[in-house]
Amino acid sequence: MNERKDTAADQAFAEKAKQLFDESVENLDGETRSRLNRGRQAALEQLAAAKPVWVQWAPAAGVAAAAVFAVVLWTGNQPVDELTPEATASDFEILLTEDSFEMLEDLEFYSWIDLDEEPEETPEDEDVVG
Amino acid sequence: MNACVASFAVSCESGGRKGASTLQREQELNRFFAGIEKRALRIAEISIRDRDEALDLVQDAMIQLARKYAKRELDEWTPLFYRILQNKVRDWHRRQAVRGRVMVWFRRSGSDDSDYDAVAAAPDPMGRTPDEQLQSQEAMQSLEIALGELPARQREAFMLRTFEGLDVAGTATAMRCSEGSVKTHYSRAVHSLRETLGEHWQ
Repeated sequence: MNERKDTAADQAFAEKAKQLFDESVENLDGETRSRLNRGRQAALEQLAAAKPVWVQWAPAAGVAAAAVFAVVLWTGNQPVDELTPEATASDFEILLTEDSFEMLEDLEFYSWIDLDEEPEETPEDEDVVG
Repeated sequence: MNACVASFAVSCESGGRKGASTLQREQELNRFFAGIEKRALRIAEISIRDRDEALDLVQDAMIQLARKYAKRELDEWTPLFYRILQNKVRDWHRRQAVRGRVMVWFRRSGSDDSDYDAVAAAPDPMGRTPDEQLQSQEAMQSLEIALGELPARQREAFMLRTFEGLDVAGTATAMRCSEGSVKTHYSRAVHSLRETLGEHWQ
């Protein structure tokens, strides 16, 4: 009987305490509420900052892709010097022959002669000479 | 090429779903904080008797929950939030105890202030003059003082059960103890408070 009375008194006590507490919460001043709101926004910013990995790297990936695209476009429009590889090949050809090393002194001259002689080897020219 | 475009589209779609779920979680967290922050502030304030410090603790607890536990289920948030907050309150008390010991050491060389009353010297947490206080506010102040005199674990159990309305299991999670301990702490707290405040308080 006493136990039941004690439990009821405890419950009544807790209810009054809760009521007073709720009143004190409702009576919080505007400045305190404003500071709580700012704190909440700061906490939510932390959540927004924790974005998926692909979202974090998306801007950097975009910049990198644009850079690669620009490089490809730029190199694609460059005029190719077609004479340079041919000249290099002919230089090797001359160097690999067993002729005297004296000709190395006039390497450019022999290259020019080599280029100059090529058109004469056409069949049409042979017919004219013959 | 088509496969590449298709996989990019799928990745964008899944990214969009993730972004939407993050936004939804942010809204849920905002609602949760908005619903709990004022009570949490008052609970922290009663524990440490300093509103500014209590505001900082509540903000820290919100930030920690958002950072570490936002992906947990919604019904887990309340006990987790109060566990974080109670840890911060305990840390605050530890820091104050260390500071108090240092201050006592310095005070020994100064005046002999033996009449110092910590409860009387504590600022009014509501920040109001006695004239402005109504009867209910005086009763609340008495309750706060009585709560301040309780052992920390009893105070935690009483406030989480009575003020926040957590059930025994939720309170046990928040306090990191067994449900039996919660019941014991709560029961002792109620009896101590009733004894301290007296029959006239009710």
